[in-house]
Formats: sequence, structure tokens, C-alpha cells
Amino acid sequence: MKFGGTSVATLPRWQNIQELVASRRAEGARVLVVVSALSGMTDALKHMCAQGEQGKRIEAAKAITQRHYELLEHMQLALPDTLAARLSDLARLAEEGPAAIGELAWAAKVQAHGELLSSALGASFLSHSGLPTQWLDARDCLAAVALPNQNERTKLLSAMVDAKPDPALSARLAALGEVFITQGFIARESQGRTVLLGRGGSDTSASYFGALLKAQRVEIWTDVAGMFTANPRQVAGARLLQRLDYEEAQEIASTGAKVLHPRCLSPLREPRVPLLIKDTNRPELEGTVIGPEVREHAPSVKAISARKGITLVSMESVGMWQQVGFLADVFAQFKQHGLSVDLISSAETNVTVSLDPTENLLDSDAIAALASDLAKVCRVKVIAPCAAVTMVGRGMRSMLHTLSGVLAEFGQLRVHLISQSSNNLNLTFVVDENVVDELLPHLHDLLIAAGALRTDDSALFGPSWQALYGSGELPAPEAAWWRTEQRQQLLALGAQATPRYVYHLPTVRHQARELKSLAAVDRLHYAVKANTHPSILRALAEEGFGFECVSPGELKAVMAVVPASAPLLFTPNFAPREDYAWALTTRATVSLDSLYPMEHWGELFRGREIVLRIDLGRGLGHHEKVRTGGSGSKFGLPVESIDAFLRLADAHGVTVRGLHAHLGSGILDEGHWGEVYAQLASLAERIGSVAFIDIGGGLGVPSHPGEARLDIAALDRVLREVKAAYPHYQLWMEPGRYLVADAGVLLTRVTQQKGKGALRYLGIDTGMNSLIRPALYEAWHEIVNLTRLDEPATGLFQIVGPICESGDVLGTDRRLPEPQEGDVMLIAQAGAYGKVMSSEYNMRDAAEEIVID
Amino acid sequence: MSNVIQPRLTQVFRFVRSSYADGVAELVYAFDDGEELIERVRFPQAPVVPAARADAFNAALRLLHLIAGVSYYKAGVPPKIEVSGEPLDDSTADLLDALYLHGLAEFAYRNGLDLRGRIAFPRGGQAKPAVGKLGLPQRSLVPIGGGKDSLVAVEAIKSIDGEATAVWVGNSALIAACAARTGLPTLNIQRELAPGLFELNRLGAWNGHIPVTAVNSAILSLAAIIYGYDSIAFANERSASVATLEYEGQQVNHQWSKGYAFEQLLGDWLHSHVAADLDYCSLLRPYSELAVTRAFAKLTPYFDVFSSCNRNFKLLGPKPAGRWCGQCPKCHFVFLALAPFLPKPRLLSIFGRNLLDDETLAAGFDALLEYQDHKPFECVGEGAEARAALYALSQRPEWQEDALVARFRSEILPQIDIAELALEPWLAPAGSHRVPPRLRPALAAIDQ
Repeated sequence: MKFGGTSVATLPRWQNIQELVASRRAEGARVLVVVSALSGMTDALKHMCAQGEQGKRIEAAKAITQRHYELLEHMQLALPDTLAARLSDLARLAEEGPAAIGELAWAAKVQAHGELLSSALGASFLSHSGLPTQWLDARDCLAAVALPNQNERTKLLSAMVDAKPDPALSARLAALGEVFITQGFIARESQGRTVLLGRGGSDTSASYFGALLKAQRVEIWTDVAGMFTANPRQVAGARLLQRLDYEEAQEIASTGAKVLHPRCLSPLREPRVPLLIKDTNRPELEGTVIGPEVREHAPSVKAISARKGITLVSMESVGMWQQVGFLADVFAQFKQHGLSVDLISSAETNVTVSLDPTENLLDSDAIAALASDLAKVCRVKVIAPCAAVTMVGRGMRSMLHTLSGVLAEFGQLRVHLISQSSNNLNLTFVVDENVVDELLPHLHDLLIAAGALRTDDSALFGPSWQALYGSGELPAPEAAWWRTEQRQQLLALGAQATPRYVYHLPTVRHQARELKSLAAVDRLHYAVKANTHPSILRALAEEGFGFECVSPGELKAVMAVVPASAPLLFTPNFAPREDYAWALTTRATVSLDSLYPMEHWGELFRGREIVLRIDLGRGLGHHEKVRTGGSGSKFGLPVESIDAFLRLADAHGVTVRGLHAHLGSGILDEGHWGEVYAQLASLAERIGSVAFIDIGGGLGVPSHPGEARLDIAALDRVLREVKAAYPHYQLWMEPGRYLVADAGVLLTRVTQQKGKGALRYLGIDTGMNSLIRPALYEAWHEIVNLTRLDEPATGLFQIVGPICESGDVLGTDRRLPEPQEGDVMLIAQAGAYGKVMSSEYNMRDAAEEIVID
Repeated sequence: MSNVIQPRLTQVFRFVRSSYADGVAELVYAFDDGEELIERVRFPQAPVVPAARADAFNAALRLLHLIAGVSYYKAGVPPKIEVSGEPLDDSTADLLDALYLHGLAEFAYRNGLDLRGRIAFPRGGQAKPAVGKLGLPQRSLVPIGGGKDSLVAVEAIKSIDGEATAVWVGNSALIAACAARTGLPTLNIQRELAPGLFELNRLGAWNGHIPVTAVNSAILSLAAIIYGYDSIAFANERSASVATLEYEGQQVNHQWSKGYAFEQLLGDWLHSHVAADLDYCSLLRPYSELAVTRAFAKLTPYFDVFSSCNRNFKLLGPKPAGRWCGQCPKCHFVFLALAPFLPKPRLLSIFGRNLLDDETLAAGFDALLEYQDHKPFECVGEGAEARAALYALSQRPEWQEDALVARFRSEILPQIDIAELALEPWLAPAGSHRVPPRLRPALAAIDQ
């Protein structure tokens, strides 16, 4: 059992260790505890090593001694002899300085004292708490081996141990007692000098001991329950990985996961000792078990990670790579400049390598010198800052077919390098660093959606990080309205006739009220293009919403049902002149998003107040076709044209009263609106006449089970923060899908089945003519058999409609109960962009709309 | 507002009165007979001003009132200016005429106005004899802007163990973070614009760039008297004195109030009207932007907090993109000017991206080079400086394949005389400055 620095720094944490060790004893196991130094000690010791003056060293040693005395006092223990001996050793080392045994050997010996002290203290504590514990000097067990590429520094400060099962040691310990405590991080080399194991050294020590003693298992006790499918700081929905094999775990640890140092797995592989990661604070959680290959599971991507700060060196040369020794010469340059190469990709004329962000790279002239030397033999390009995005999973190549949607995502980005190692454990893309924070959570969702990350396999995947450690405010998602009280009514409606859209007004109101809780927002407009059903318009008018329309047709439809007091916005895109002319006769506030209307029809707008829609230069959203920012999108006036627009506006007596931007749809990261808001507000400050900022909509609605909802409280905090900086602007928003998506379902009936190869097709009586989102955006809609909602889902189906298009697929690889002709199927989240986008294609009957209140 | 004003049709801009109590200065203005516009400047924990400094205080407060009026005057630019109280002497009126004319030159250019002959502060007061020394404490106010320049100035003063306070006006998380990183005592003065100004803007007031450094300078002059400092050490470089463009015979300089002409006018005025021992100077005056960026390149501890970007100054993100928009001329210039002096990976980690490998930014960098365009209306270096920096990069293998560097080599370089592209001449100090003897040794830290 290994415990890290924070776990051994206080009395309560030691009591925790005592309980855990006692529980293992109760199971009949003999326990070896491996500890790190008290948190902060290794740094304090390093600091002491850096002191040139004897006086300062002695002072530093005294401070370290004091820290241990304090803990001892908390434990109400007298100074044990082992600890006293270690402390006097440390004092002597401080006094002597490095002169006698050499700088590095001395530093290693000094730094080893962090663990020597903590373990001596722990032995005394455990023994006094009823667990007789033997203090073991790790240096007597772990013998460092000399390796060919080591220099004096690596030999002493990042040593390796060749740990093979040693029955003699096991026997020796068995004779001594049941509970032992020893030090992580340290070992002894052939000349008898103390050496350090380098970064992650304590975990590695635990593994070495596990291998030496051929332990039942190695337990790494830390502050998190194990490895996750992604870094939880980047992807809150990351899932706990409950089972991994050594190679996968090592790959995940190497490409990002901080919980375990990759080095500590290889000693365990041969003796097949499993390693368990456990959370000290929550020992009831399963944790991650790393062991020999797990055979009985389908291949799955296990994790994604991103490493930032990567620098690429791309070397271009015609025909020289094949010359014997050429590459060796090139790589010799990297060695000479002290740069170590990580990823490599090569082609006939180009070799590109990646460098990790070391101090040498960032703060010396190494890269400049390297480039000068390389430039003599090839063309060099230094590309940075990049990030390596890696997917890890055993048998990566066999999963390529499931990754098409994921690969399409990379198609949107600048991919500088792709690497796939022959061990078939990973697939790495090197992209621009600035896209990674947004990319990673999105990629995680895409992998789940594509069935490449099989989170449905509960043997491999545990709960999400959010569920385990999230801010605690994650209520179990409410069961959708159609699952519970309305189910019978829906079954009756479906039995009468299909296809039918059914809208649930209480859900619309619930969503509306949630948005009304955003205190920073002064005015909310419903983007009616999502669903123009009169009952929905009326319900939202009653909730005090304004309405955002994009065409005269929408404006007319809205004006026909909402009271004359409801604010209206007219926000068209590439609308003809007569649309504007007509809209100006209504009470709607008109938006412009290009120079053309001002240049050519400026007089139309004379004396008017308008809203200017700006393109802030980048787009976001769940699919390329729903991104509305960036030069690849037709929406918005580019920032650089604002001055020209204002001059034209001035010339025509037009006042820009509002600034608007809308960057896309389906966005689940609340920080995004804060950025848009702040950017618009800072632009508004240069304009003067602006009274309000409209940050658009695009509030995401998660579609997959377990996907985190948009955190409205967090959004409110973000918006209020910006508002505090720009209190003189009103804030407007234009949500659409958020209000109505969950409120609507599409009812349809099973018509037939077909088997084709391994695939089973389930036919329903409507398709892309009623709901085009899956075909258009690859949108994922939950699909259930409402008739058999409680039956076990045993078959895997492709759900298809009757339209003569191969794209008429509503859902792929869906696990459902065995269906029968006439069963009522329900397609969820069809309240937005469902009926409004339906068509008469194939001249099939349109779906009827029914409202439940 | 009682009667709705058409700001652009106003006839008179009136300096109504100014007052000070409990650390708050109230500056009152009006157009015609419209409602009073009241600006407040808050000096935190202001001590009682010693009686010996009363005259100096009153002179500095009056100057602040007159200078801060520029924010309001520009809303209407009426033909007449009225100043209540004692008539201004010639040197005060000259200072204000120059400031309003040159400081609003960009505003006038952008709005198609000609302010020449329109700005005339009433004068007629007798010049009083020059004031004497007040025995102000030997310490400096160093304004912090969040960018590289003020941090270079701070470190220069720290290098001679000079006593100094990092000061800034207004709310800015970015500046607060930079100020905290300096380790100096800090002073955050708040300026509240009159709410009526927003209303005027909504009613169609003229809008545009104002000489904000002049306003801040006047605020700090008053602060120096209130708290007791003998010097105000700004960080304005040589290039701030270079005009952005010339328009119908008038020089238009975006950073006129950061230029040497204004520094001289205000410095002399403070010596003769406030205190002979209150020095107003720029520590970086003898240096080019490139000399300053070279000095800044050694100040690693600031790399993850500073930003010179124009966008997003009020809010702070942890990521580079939260401090550097990558789109504005300031981002472009600072990136380019730092590049010759930092390892490439370090520079890119500051900005979070490589601006010189992005073809879409070609026009922005062209403007900095004054290639096919004039210098941008921003606080950026001279075109020749930008060309020298880019030339230096074009000679370095780790940069020369990047899109905009390659484009410079193939397209722009053949059109310029290489003899004019050397970096070294930019690194030497040159020209006059007003750094007082006490602070002069600090310049050595910038010269290295």
C-alpha cells in the first residue's frame, strides 16, 4: 500500500492510513506500506541542497526537523530512536555540505531523508496505534542497476531497479512480522550510495516491492479513485476506468494521466501483480484495477488525452532520407542540442518530430541553434504551440471504422501530424494548442456517440468524474416527461395515428423559467425558427419572452398570436431589400449583418435604430453546419468592417443601438457566452450609441444519456461577472432549441425488420421527411420503443425510415427490445428543428402536431 | 434630462467647478444650459493634505478638471469653451489648447472634423511667479498598464532599489494581477465617468479616441501631492512621439499624450505651477519599442500575467487567448517585437499561437510594416522597427518558413534596402528625456 505526501502530512491522514492497513490485516493480508515524504518536504530538501552557505543549510535542516516534531506532537508521541537517528544524520549532512562525497551523491542522500523521516515517524505512529510495524530501509531491498546510457546525474537522481521476485526477501520479512513500513523514492546502487528514483518515484518503489515480494496486489492510495477516460479538469463527463491492462494503463499514463507515473507499471507486468488505484478519502469507490489483458470485452477506446506545449520540427528534403546515415545525422543534432524527440512521422520528403516542453526548449537558444544546424541539410519549420491529442485503446486499428465522425472533427482543424504506433495502442493527432480546450470534451462526446468509447459496458467504465466529485449539485436527471405520467397518453396517441409530433407545454414553461433565473439577462427572445407552433409562441409570450424572427413569414406568424406588447427582433441573413422594407413597417427591431444594405439601400434605414450582428471570427457548435461564426460562415459582419459600417450608418443617420453575435448551436460550455459578451461589450465601448448587447443563443441541450447539462447557475455567474464590468449595457439573449427541444417528441410505428449481414434494420413509418436532423447534422436523438419501454434491450438495430435515400437513418446501433410490427416508437428531443424542417419529399404524409398541456 | 440635448448642436462647453473632499474629487461640466455632468475620481485612503501643499493641491486639482474635460468636450465639440473661476494664464491655456487639438486629432480625423481654430481656451490671467520646492518624499508613482512597458520601468526602478508604488486608474483584473506580480506597494485610483456621458452617447454624441494618458497623468499629479511622491515615472517610448499619419496638413498621432511634446508641456507646467520638485517623466523615452521588448524578454516572471492586447482588458482568462486576442495591432506588434529576443517556443507559449504563421493576418502585419497601409491607430512601434524585427526573423532558420516570414522574404524584402533593416541601431538609447537625476541610474537596467 502506497501513500503520497498529502496522505502522510497530518494526524487525521495517518489515522486514515492506520484504518486502511488494519482493514487489510483483518482480511488476513500482510502489509507493506510505502510512503512519500511529508508534502513540501522534498522541495524543502532540494532548497536546502541549493544553499551554498553552511549556516543557511543548518537553518533549513532545523526547519525540516521542526515540521516533524510538530506532527509528532500532534500524534502525542515521544521522539522514536529511528527518527532521532535520521534527524541527526540530516543535521550532519547539512553541516558537512557536499564537499566530502560529491555534489550529486550528497544531494541524493539529503533528499532521501524526506521519506526516511516520514517512514520512521509512521512506524512509530502505527505501532502505537495497535499495529506493530517494522521499519524497513528500502535501500536494503532495492538495488539500483547501472544502465548503459546513464551519466552520474541520472545514475544518482533517477535510478532504475531491476525488480524480480525474490523469495529470500519474502521469507526474511515473513520472519520479522506482519506489517512493515518503508520509503518510496529511494534505493541503493552497487557502490553502496543512496540513489533516488526520480519523478513518480514513490509509486515506482511500491511497484518494485510488489514485484520483489510477488505481492497479491499493489495499492496506490491517492486523492482520486483512479484513471479516467479523460482529464476531468477538461472533460467533466470523463468516466472512471475500472479495468485496464498494463499496456493500456501505461499508455494512458504516458499521454496525460497524472495519477500514475508510467514507469511504475512495467515491473509488475512479468510477475502479473495487479495494481489498484484507490481514493484515500473514499475507499468505498471501486477504483481502477490494472492487470493482465482483459479478453472478454469488445474493443473500445479507453481514454483521450491532450498534452500541450508541444513543439514540432518539420524537416523537408528531397530524396535524402534514404541515404544511409542521414537520419542518424539529423537525430544527432537533436541530441547535441539537448532536445529529446517524442513523436515521429515520416514521408518520402518530410520527417516531422515533436518535442515536449522542457525548460531547455523554452528558455535557451536550443531551438534556434538546432534550426540553424538542420537548415544546412534540409528546410526546417518550427511549428508551435501544438497539442498532441491521443486516443488510447487496445486494438486501435480495428476501431478505425467507428471513428469517421471523430475524424471528420479533425478535418475542421489544422492537423500537423498523425501518429499510430505499431503496438496498436494509440492514435495521436497533433493540432494547434488553442483548439484543444474546446476540442477535448467535444471529442469525448463524439467517441461515445460513435460507439467507439463503449461507456455502455459497465464492467469497464465506472461513473463519471462529475458524478463522483462534481460540485455535488448534480441531481439525478429528471426522468423525461414522456417516460412517466404522459406515457399512456402518448401510447394512445400513437395507436390512433402516426407519425405525430407531440409537444408538452409544461416542459416549455419549465425551460423558460430556468432561463428567466439568469439575473444578468435583461431580455430573452425566443428564436422562433426552432418551432413556430402557435401554442408554444403563446406559452412563451405569457412567460414574458420576446421573439426573434428571421423572415417576414416568421414575423407574421408571431404577430398573429402574440400580444402587441411582446418585443420582436428581425434578424435575417441575406434577406432581400423588400424584406427589410416590410420589417421596418412593423414594430420589430431590425438587425443588419453586412455592409451591402447600408451601402446600397442606406436611405431605407434613415433615422432608424438598428442592431449590428458581428462575426467575432470563430465559430462553435456541435456540427459544422450549425456553426455561425468564422469566415467560413455566411453570418455576421467581420470585425474589421465595423468602422466602415459605422461611417455608412452615420452618413444615413442610422443609430447602432445593439451589438449581436451568435457563434453556433449546441454549446455546453458556459464560459463561451462570457467571452462573446465581453468581446461585444469592448467593441460597443468604441461605438457609443450602443445600449444593449445581444449574445445570441446556442444554449446546448445534451442528447446522450449521462452527458452533463448546461450549468445555468454557472452561466449566470459568468454573465454577472461581465455585467459588473460593463453595467451600462443591457444584456439580451436569443435561445431557441433550449426552450423547446425536450418538450417535443416524434411518435412513429414499427413497420417491419430486415437482416443484412450482421446488421438488423428496424423500419418505422416516417424518416428524414419528418425529422432531418440525424441526416443533416448527424444529430443523435434518443429512440425508444414506447410500447416495450420496460423490456430488456437485447437487439442492436439500425433505425430507418421509408424515404428513398440511403441517408434516411434516424439512429444507428441502438440497443432495443425485440420489436413487433405496430409498436409505438418515440424519438426524443424532437421539439426543436423537427416539424419546421420537415419536407414533402417522396410525397409522404406530413406529421401532425398535437399539444399536451 | 430636462430638455433633450442634441450633443452635436451644442454651442458652449462649460467647466463648471471642481471640488475635493474625503478622497473624492468631483469634476463638473455642462453643455449649454444642460444638466451637469459630474465625474468623480476616488483616491483610496487619502491622507489629509498638509497645509504646505494646499496651493499645489489646488493647482493640480484645477488641472485635472481642465484635462479630464476632454472626455466630455468631445461629445459635442461646441465652438465655445467657458472656464469658471480665475482666468487661465497663457501657459495653462497653451497646454490645454495643444492637448485638446493634438490629443483629439485622431478623433477629428475619424469623424471628418477639423478642430483647428475651434479649440481656444479662454485666457487673460496673470502669470504668477514659479512655485518653489515642497520637499516631497523621494519616491515614485509608476503607472501600470498591464503591458510590457510599465513592467520594464518597474524593474528598472527596482534595480536601483528606488522606492516606488505601482498605480493604476480604473478596474482591471489584468493590471491588478501584473501590479501584484511586481511586488511593489499598489495604489488603485477609481475614475467614474459622469453617467450623463452615456446618455449623450445614446443621443448621438461624437465619439472616438481621447488622450487618456493625459487624463491619467493629471490624476497622478494630484495623487503625488495627496500622498507625497516626488516623481511620476511613465513608460512611454520614443516611438510614441511619431505621428500615425498626416491629414490635411495636420499630424495625427494616436498616442500624442504619450509623446515627448506633451511630456515637456506637462512637466514644465507642473514645475512652474505645482511644485518645483515634482517631476513628470517617461523612463523609457530614450528607447525604441525594440529596446524595450529586449529588456522585457528577460523578465520571465511576468510572461503569464501581462498583456498588451486591446481587447478584453476588463476581464481575465487563464489561457493565453484570454489575454491576447491575436487579432489587434497590439497583439501583432508585441509578438513581432518580442520574437527576436525570446526562444520561439517560449514566445508561442505566451501568445498561445503563432501569429506569424497565420496567412489571414497578413494585412495586419502589413500595416505594422507600413507596407501598403499607414501605421495603425494604436500604441505600436514605428514601421521601420517592425521591418527590422521581421528582417531579423527572416534570417533565422526557426522562423523563416512561417507563412508571414516567408511572404516577407519573397514579396516585401526585395523592395527594401537591407542596409536600413539592422536591428542593432534600434537597441541604443537616443534623443532627449526628462528622467530626473535620482532615477537616471535606473536606465542602465534597460540598456543592459
